[in-house]
Amino acid sequence: MIEFRGVNKWFGALHVLKDITLSVEPREVVVVCGPSGSGKSTLIRCINGLETIKDGRLVVDGQRLGDRATNMTELRTEIGFVFQSFNLYPHKTALENVTLAPIHVRKIQRTEAESAGREMLAKVGLAEKFNAYPAELSGGQQQRVAIARCLCMRPKIMLFDEPTSALDPEMISEVLDVMVGVAEEGMTMMVVTHEMGFARKVAQRVVFMDEGAVVETGTPEEFFSDPKTDRSRAFLSKILRH
Amino acid sequence: MIWFQFQSLIGSYPLALRGLGMTVALSAISLVLGTLIGFTLGVLRTSGNRLVSRVIGLWIDLIRGTPFLVQIFLIFFILPEFGVELDAFTAGIIALTNLAACFICEIVAAGIRSVPTGQVEAALASGLSQWQRMRQVVLPQAMRVSLPPLVGQYVLLIKDSSVVSAIGLTDLTRVGWLVVQRVPNGLLVFAIVGIGYFVVCYPLILLARRLERRMSAAHGEVQL
Repeated sequence: MIEFRGVNKWFGALHVLKDITLSVEPREVVVVCGPSGSGKSTLIRCINGLETIKDGRLVVDGQRLGDRATNMTELRTEIGFVFQSFNLYPHKTALENVTLAPIHVRKIQRTEAESAGREMLAKVGLAEKFNAYPAELSGGQQQRVAIARCLCMRPKIMLFDEPTSALDPEMISEVLDVMVGVAEEGMTMMVVTHEMGFARKVAQRVVFMDEGAVVETGTPEEFFSDPKTDRSRAFLSKILRH
Repeated sequence: MIWFQFQSLIGSYPLALRGLGMTVALSAISLVLGTLIGFTLGVLRTSGNRLVSRVIGLWIDLIRGTPFLVQIFLIFFILPEFGVELDAFTAGIIALTNLAACFICEIVAAGIRSVPTGQVEAALASGLSQWQRMRQVVLPQAMRVSLPPLVGQYVLLIKDSSVVSAIGLTDLTRVGWLVVQRVPNGLLVFAIVGIGYFVVCYPLILLARRLERRMSAAHGEVQL
């Protein structure tokens, strides 16, 4: 579903992605972790073209990125992207947020899109909040609207860029629960997160990145109980200490 | 004496109304055109094409860096040298529209730049086209920032329209000059001219203030 082969990227002189080779199968859930600045956000932002790659091959849903034949706007409709900072449209209500793309991109009838949107918001536990503006919602609620906004497009892939990092601790679980639900329905997911509980629960694989390179991949069991490299051991001892 | 002057003034009310009408017509036409062009330029200026942005920026600097009176003279007196014959009204409209477009472009561009990049990224990620991103996500948020200064700019432009009297258009200011030749009381005549402008501008000033209050309170779509 997603295939990186020898992908490199630079920000000026900074080599942010170093020879990345990695593939994600349909219905697979992959968690990407690593210290800050390791390139994990950049990695998933490349998948829907928010960042462009310098060289190598990146194929998503059978289409090669950077190819002339690949219509990026069309490909993006198949990929949901959840941001760390939610990025809900502040001038639109929760329901308008989740129906905007279905109506304008998928060209679904407004009434139909709205009933699907209500259903989706109810599913993420926000049945009471259809007409609330983002500013009236808590961080956890906003992030759940953001996830519903992606799901309303019926994407093939969902990408999460540190979805719980901007949240107060008591709101993290409500967002993770929604994500677990999405994973259990068989969505192909790539999740940048340090939530190891989530990784253990639903991920088939954990990818550990450091300094722009994939250092180690393995099942959550292998990775957490028996990390293979010094760098992953050092990282795990830092995040699991508390 | 004063009474006599008043009577004489009242006698020239058809001229005053004509002047007011001219000022309102000039302002209205050039503000509408200037807003349309200014919005288009503002969107182009922020669209990411550097050459286009530079050219627009250079033109705006040129217009902002020269007196409006000089611009009007250039359009009215120089263009005919190149075979473009303009009547004073058209020249006035062109000059005012150009001025309005330049200021409005900068206000709109500043509003667009104030929208966080995360908003554009979210719209991009959900597959909205460039026009849809602008129309649905960026412009509504940019307008919240831009509307109060935009309306304020309208007021300034209406007052700037008084400069067109220099090329012989009988607007409110020129009516003042004409009347003062018959009624030699400059204070009285131009006080009335001032009131004329104020009557046109004051509703806009009130609107700007109202919008500003609304912007700080509301979180929804901007409604006039």
